[in-house]
Amino acid sequence: MSEHEQGADERADERADERADDAAAAGDTPGPDESAETALRRLRRTRQLHRLGNIEWFEAAYRVYILAIFGGGGILWLSSGVQDATVSAATAADVSAHAPAILGLFATFAVLAGLRGGAQGGPIALEGADVVHVMLSPVDRRSALLRPAVQRVRGAVFSGAVAGAIAGQFAGRRLPGSLLAWAGGGVLFGGSIGLLWAGSALLAHTLRLPRWAATATGVVLFVWQSVAAARELPGPGNSVGDLGLWGWRQHPTDLITTAVALVAVIVGLVQLRRISLEALARRAALVAQLRFAVTMQDLRTVILLRRQLNQEHPRRRPWVRLGAPQRTGFRVLMWRRGMHGILRFPLTRIVRIVALAAGIGVLQAATVRGTTPALLGSALLGFVLGLELMEPLAQEVDQPDYTDSFPVPRGELMYRHLIAPMTLLLPLAVVAGAAAVLTLGADSRAIVPAAILALPTLLGSICGGIVSIVRDAPDPLSSVNQQTFIPPEMAGISTTVRLLWPFVVSTLGTCTVLLPRQALRNGDSLAGAATRGAIGSLLITALVCYWVKVRDEVRKKIRSFMEEGRAQTSAQRQQRSSA
Amino acid sequence: MTAALSTHQLAKDYGDRPALLPLDLEVPAGQHVALVGHNGSGKTTLLQMAAGLLDPSDGTAAIAGHPSGSKGARAALSWLSDTPTFYDDLSLWEHLEYVARLHGVAGWGTKAETLLERLHLTARRDDIPTTFSRGLRQKAAIALALVRPFEVLLVDEPFVGLDQAGKEALLALLDEAAASGATLLVATHELAFVHRVQRLLALRDGELVYDGPPADTDVHTLVLPA
Repeated sequence: MSEHEQGADERADERADERADDAAAAGDTPGPDESAETALRRLRRTRQLHRLGNIEWFEAAYRVYILAIFGGGGILWLSSGVQDATVSAATAADVSAHAPAILGLFATFAVLAGLRGGAQGGPIALEGADVVHVMLSPVDRRSALLRPAVQRVRGAVFSGAVAGAIAGQFAGRRLPGSLLAWAGGGVLFGGSIGLLWAGSALLAHTLRLPRWAATATGVVLFVWQSVAAARELPGPGNSVGDLGLWGWRQHPTDLITTAVALVAVIVGLVQLRRISLEALARRAALVAQLRFAVTMQDLRTVILLRRQLNQEHPRRRPWVRLGAPQRTGFRVLMWRRGMHGILRFPLTRIVRIVALAAGIGVLQAATVRGTTPALLGSALLGFVLGLELMEPLAQEVDQPDYTDSFPVPRGELMYRHLIAPMTLLLPLAVVAGAAAVLTLGADSRAIVPAAILALPTLLGSICGGIVSIVRDAPDPLSSVNQQTFIPPEMAGISTTVRLLWPFVVSTLGTCTVLLPRQALRNGDSLAGAATRGAIGSLLITALVCYWVKVRDEVRKKIRSFMEEGRAQTSAQRQQRSSA
Repeated sequence: MTAALSTHQLAKDYGDRPALLPLDLEVPAGQHVALVGHNGSGKTTLLQMAAGLLDPSDGTAAIAGHPSGSKGARAALSWLSDTPTFYDDLSLWEHLEYVARLHGVAGWGTKAETLLERLHLTARRDDIPTTFSRGLRQKAAIALALVRPFEVLLVDEPFVGLDQAGKEALLALLDEAAASGATLLVATHELAFVHRVQRLLALRDGELVYDGPPADTDVHTLVLPA
């Protein structure tokens, strides 16, 4: 045996001894008649000790510190930077009357998402090995699943509470009441939303609700709440919506829905034995990949895996079959290729796309009404809309081997991929414009600016998605990741810029709505301001399209320029040294 | 006598695509069965439904008289998948301990040592199996499937990735399991293996097209797609 092998064996023995010591220290010595459940608990504890032993505590503390400084501090700084005025008494009364029903939409949407997720196998995700080794052993499945299920519920409530606190302190800057009270109300509201989502998902899964029934139940609740919000009627989500206003006023009855959600969670946990192993096995593989993709900030993979997780597949039969082309040629071919993909979008995706367009309209209108942070929300929705719509382009990026084998410059090919999805924005612009006008109280003054701005703003908003997709395409000039050569001090900044850049582009494409807002405040022509805004958004769109087309060429030129420079410098050095 | 594996009108479809057409099957205890068929014929689907890993679209399956997926069925059944999965924070030895203890095996260490030795894995016992090559992962999965007690062993493509020594070791272990009274159902493309079993099942496009002794048929034609 070589010294190396001997050393490895000794290290392995040491590790085994250490682990045995850990187990002994934790009181984990197995008894003679140990039940499977006890064995599972003991062995899980041992695994937890392994994991804790592998954590670099200093690094973890540093990460928490960075997150607190840049996350928490950044949000507070940004919030205080928003100079929106406190609302008038009339607007406050308006908010008091309508906000619960509107916030209730979030609650019913959470129920819809939870029911659908549960019917598709959510919300629990186990390790693949747990599915095979633990779930197929004669251990009580409820005991085995209780911990991951509780962790999932806890995570949903925590995420909701954090989002609620952030939104609450934003609201507190414009509405009566203290910031702390609003943040607290937000925590309660967001936590309840998380609880509703988790409870619906657990119930749908353990009751083995068919997918159509889950969707139908969720949609009925959501539509009911939408009607309630529009017609000032009682809705199923109103009491949760009222929780969102606890920073201002508190009624104990508002907690009823939260209590119902808690009961749903408890029933779900009691029924854990009815969880489908097929769903657990499917999700185990996908969730592991999803976590890895999130760690690698690989957005495209995250999207693809999310679709697989939701069992969202392209339609086998397209909505409409394209007839034989009247003309041939590259442009027609690219148009048809794009439409072939788009016409296979499943219904859920089309609904999502329409909802995103409507959401952009609502948030743009909210910006005009004075809530500037809504602009960031509309940019985010636009970014996501871009990722959804530009599927043919993303598919091209996913298949670099095909792309590189085509006798067409890659930039030209990608540019042509933009055309078909962009035409889909025409009907979506009608949806966004209508949503904006309705949000502004069906004010007739809003119709013309909305008609002028709707399409250009949607175009500008999806540019971030385009940038994100094209930027992730493999570099045809070099197989080496340029990030490898970035010094560690710069890598963090570079990663952050890379992450935020598409979102910045979408924000630039949508911020043109600030022009009509300013015109409204100054009493200037709204149509003129909207036209100037539309031109701005169109310019950004044109720039992005041009960048897609010439990106490879420009990079090639820059690289050859750099190489020429390097060659000249080295030649000069040689001349000097020989002289 | 209770059948080791029985199915009644067991069927599975994925949307509008049937993966297994309604199947009635009974495998007596102690029988050694091979399951063959072309790619996509429904072999893995049948095994996974019997193991309780897939929900049937219709019908039922039972292991040793217990509904598939129930606690009794899980205690009686050992499942060896063609895609082994492992924890990435446990060594092979710790995996063996974990699985053996979950099944309440007393004196598992000796059994585990023997299995590792026969599968030529002793030197790798303290390594993490997720870092193993395809063949070593398969051997590790075999050890995990056999370290625990079972009445029925369901095996899906066990020879994939194994070297000759691994194949021989596996065949010997399967023979020993059969000799000890266990029921074996092995899905495989290794047609040479078929002649070692008592009964052959052949699936084509989700339908059972042959059920009988392997000697009475031409196996090569059975595995051709329609």
